[in-house]
Amino acid sequence: MKKVDPTFTTVKKTVCPFCSFGCELGVVFDDFGIRGVEYIKDGSSEGRLCPRGSAAALYLNHPLRLSMPIKNGKTLDWTKLGKDLKNVFDKPRKVAVTFDRNLTIEDYQSIISFCKATGVENIASTYFEPEALLREFFGKPFSVDEINKARMVLVVGDPFNQTPMFSKTLIEWKLSNRKNRLVVVDTMKTPTATFASDFLKCRVDTEPLLLLALAQENIEGLDVPGVTGVAASTIADISKGLHKDKDALIFVCLSFAHTYDSMLLVEGLKRLSAYTGKKIIPFVEFPGFEGNQRFGAIIEKIKKKKIKYLVNFGELFPFYYPQLGKILRRVSIFATAPIKHKDHTVLPVALNLEKQGTILTNRGEQALSGDINPASGARMVNEILDLVKQTKIGDGAVALPEVKVDLAERAKKIVARIKTPKKKKSLRLLGEKIAYSFLGLFGEEKLKINPLDAEALGIKPTDTVSLKSKHGEADFRIRLTTDVDPGIAAIAAETPEVKGLFEYEVADSMVNFVPTSVEIWRKG
Amino acid sequence: MAKRIVLDLDLCCGCRSCEAACKAAHKGEARIRHGDIAGEAYLPLACKHCKDPLCIAACPVDAIKRDDETGLVTRSSFICIGCQSCAYACPFGVIDAPLVRHVSQKCDLCNDREDGPRCVAACSSGALKFLGDEEIKKHQIGMRMVSKDAFFRRKAWT
Repeated sequence: MKKVDPTFTTVKKTVCPFCSFGCELGVVFDDFGIRGVEYIKDGSSEGRLCPRGSAAALYLNHPLRLSMPIKNGKTLDWTKLGKDLKNVFDKPRKVAVTFDRNLTIEDYQSIISFCKATGVENIASTYFEPEALLREFFGKPFSVDEINKARMVLVVGDPFNQTPMFSKTLIEWKLSNRKNRLVVVDTMKTPTATFASDFLKCRVDTEPLLLLALAQENIEGLDVPGVTGVAASTIADISKGLHKDKDALIFVCLSFAHTYDSMLLVEGLKRLSAYTGKKIIPFVEFPGFEGNQRFGAIIEKIKKKKIKYLVNFGELFPFYYPQLGKILRRVSIFATAPIKHKDHTVLPVALNLEKQGTILTNRGEQALSGDINPASGARMVNEILDLVKQTKIGDGAVALPEVKVDLAERAKKIVARIKTPKKKKSLRLLGEKIAYSFLGLFGEEKLKINPLDAEALGIKPTDTVSLKSKHGEADFRIRLTTDVDPGIAAIAAETPEVKGLFEYEVADSMVNFVPTSVEIWRKG
Repeated sequence: MAKRIVLDLDLCCGCRSCEAACKAAHKGEARIRHGDIAGEAYLPLACKHCKDPLCIAACPVDAIKRDDETGLVTRSSFICIGCQSCAYACPFGVIDAPLVRHVSQKCDLCNDREDGPRCVAACSSGALKFLGDEEIKKHQIGMRMVSKDAFFRRKAWT
């Protein structure tokens, strides 16, 4: 039997950066590049990996992996690009430096030190998922053993799709003792919800209100059961249960839904934690970093022509949010990305698996020990910054101005949105996270709609449908399922084509995605 | 002793880690397929490496061979002419019909890896196992399946 000669390949143990759970994995590489991943039996993942971890090598060796900087689709020399960047940073007041994910803590500190050295005043995170706000709950490391002491667990969202490697622990905990009570809060029936003791199915966009109600926060004039669709007795019972069980835990896994008010959600979680005295454990794609202002403030400055250049470090923005294109067309954009994009000036960058550094996970700060030559042409963040100015890594701290969240005002907005009469034949679009839907590498996802809606719209199970929102149009194959309520359409929000369909609003300088009305019809 | 990839239906939760691992190891083409059961569950379909494989009988150019010692049924990409006879002959439908790089896609049990197939290593719930004939008989794999839903199957088993 043919075997790989171990003298030519090396396995480097590192940490999977595709979610915050911090599974250990091995990167197999040789002189020609990365060959694959290996499963570390004595590591935190017990020799197993989720689809994202298993497919890591596919992403590292993606056929569209960028090897040279490109400007509007044409290749550009690094020297020329360095000059362009220097010209940009000669006018630091006209520049906004932003960042999203695929950054280590050291990268982030370098960027902040660089901004301070060059005099850039506008620094913001463009990572729109609520995880940028959930970072504050990462204070205390989480150990999987903690769950075995708990008799009650509240899960907001779906860990099966968000953090599959934790989901196994959760299922085993639930099945190990009949008295273990698993409460799931979600807007649609997910794999986690199928084995919940209590499934609190709330209306789209109302999770923050339900969390506030569980924290016994009374908002004047707000009928929580009427708005959320969850009975008052159930809310009182679960609130009491959480308060009573001293080892109860609260998990949050809410990426990609693209519907709720992130600030209100985080406020709800804070108050629930304070009321019950329980720890909040967020499972996220990537714990985002903070700038000195929110991206909404940058948008305002772009509109007023105060900012001319936007330099983004990370891997997604601005390609993943085409709905912002109209505003972003007013500025020159330089963005780092691992994969080719035809718009703007794109700089090839190394991925976290190829780096050395530290990342924040649920287990605390974990060291990435990739130390691998990145894919041909890709550069580390430091090397890109050095093209303009060499700086020392400082403490890298900037703080966001505090915003007082007006609960009543924000709750009113949610209620108003729910009560707005829908257009005839229009549905509400809900984003979801699918474990194996990884950057579109596993093919297209199906649009989930309720059979009652399908019947009303004249759609059959094998049909392809066209979906139109205010920001764009896309075609999907459909899946009829009662997991989603009538009036809702759900789709995996992983690719720019899907993310670009969602509507957004700016409130208190925070970009929020809001429930999006879409029209669906049978194609051709 | 010949070993096979076996699926324990009671444990499979349809996360498709196996497919991801296979895809990453074989230049972006998964050799483990998935059965989509009425949109309710995804179950992996792996090559059984049969004792008397019909794909070998169907191959007009003898591109598929069986190693009697290991039980491994392999396809040579140099000899394969991409006629898809093996795909049509396979009674389990595990050889993917669309050709990739003009050859059929056939599981090789990751024979380049010492610790067995990558799909088994990746399996997040431990449903895929790499077992010999005797172990398979002892296991009663899939005998307890009572529900289409992965989590309720586990519940019944517990």
